[in-house]
Amino acid sequence: MLVKEMIKQSLPLLIFCGIGGIIAGSTLTLMINLFNTIPGLIIVIPAIIAMRGNISTAFGSRLGSAYHLGIINAENLWNEELKQNIIGSIILSFLVSIIIGILAYVTTLVFFNIRPNPFIIISIVILAGLLSAFILIFLTIIIIYLVFRRGYDPDNITGPALATFGDIVTMFCIFISALLIGGGIF
Amino acid sequence: MIYDWKKIVRFSMPLLTICIIIEIFAGNILQNSEDQLLLFPIFLISIPVINGVGGNIGSVLGARLASGLHVGNINLDIKDKKMHENLITSLFIGFITYLILAIIIYLISTFSSLIVINPMKFITIILCTGVLLVFAVSIFSILTAFWSFKKGLDPDDMVAPVVTTVGDTLGILFLFMFIGVVGI
Repeated sequence: MLVKEMIKQSLPLLIFCGIGGIIAGSTLTLMINLFNTIPGLIIVIPAIIAMRGNISTAFGSRLGSAYHLGIINAENLWNEELKQNIIGSIILSFLVSIIIGILAYVTTLVFFNIRPNPFIIISIVILAGLLSAFILIFLTIIIIYLVFRRGYDPDNITGPALATFGDIVTMFCIFISALLIGGGIF
Repeated sequence: MIYDWKKIVRFSMPLLTICIIIEIFAGNILQNSEDQLLLFPIFLISIPVINGVGGNIGSVLGARLASGLHVGNINLDIKDKKMHENLITSLFIGFITYLILAIIIYLISTFSSLIVINPMKFITIILCTGVLLVFAVSIFSILTAFWSFKKGLDPDDMVAPVVTTVGDTLGILFLFMFIGVVGI
């Protein structure tokens, strides 16, 4: 029966992903004071998380394809193909972060009649975007390396692993960036 | 060499930009209800959970439909029985997952002394939001899978980005809708 089979196979993974969501959500509650001091900060959160998810799962699945094509493997991991993929992901993160910052600034101005400091908002997004890009690229390469060594198919592992860790890492990066740039530490 | 960073950037930018515009809209809904969220942080914790689970169930359904369409045991027909069976199963799984997670979130919040909110109301809000979200996301998943299959595109490439982006926005929208309906 379909229901029984699906509950057995997908419920544990769904609960696991839900727990990951609870950790990410708890990080959000740490930011309550920052939301009060940095107007417009809350607007960028879904966009940064979505950007990160999109760019890193695409990165992971391209490395998976590269493995199947025989371009990279455990002995020959750090090569020009991998470098091009890393540069592509970082430049994408940088460009999309700028777009997110600008859109967030403009929509706060138009819809909410509050005047956030555009430089603060845009630099928080860029820092959070780049920081999470570096961490997740590093994490992906480690995961891919371990998967290669064991001879597993990376396509089955990188997607779920990145989806679960990605949100948590990204939320922490937003928290730290907001604290550094807008939290009055400097 | 088959990968070139310029190509990666050029091919990814259009879809990413569309996703970002929709997500900024989701962010605007959050900003609009910021006071409520900061007053009841239990909903702040719930947002990534609601969206994550909804996106996952939708993507799983999409992947199953894509495989079914490729193999041929699911037909390009809105009345397809196998498709209905998959939809109902997704709703059922969604109900159980959200129920379990709502209880966990409530317990964690109580232990960290975050809230004063009626547990029945909280669980009702999360369950209603979750089940409606799974339904909406499944419809998007089915439409995207059917549409891309018909156009000769691979549904496996299309369903996940569409479903997660639409799911994020609808999840936040439904949450505030049910907070309004049930009351806190």
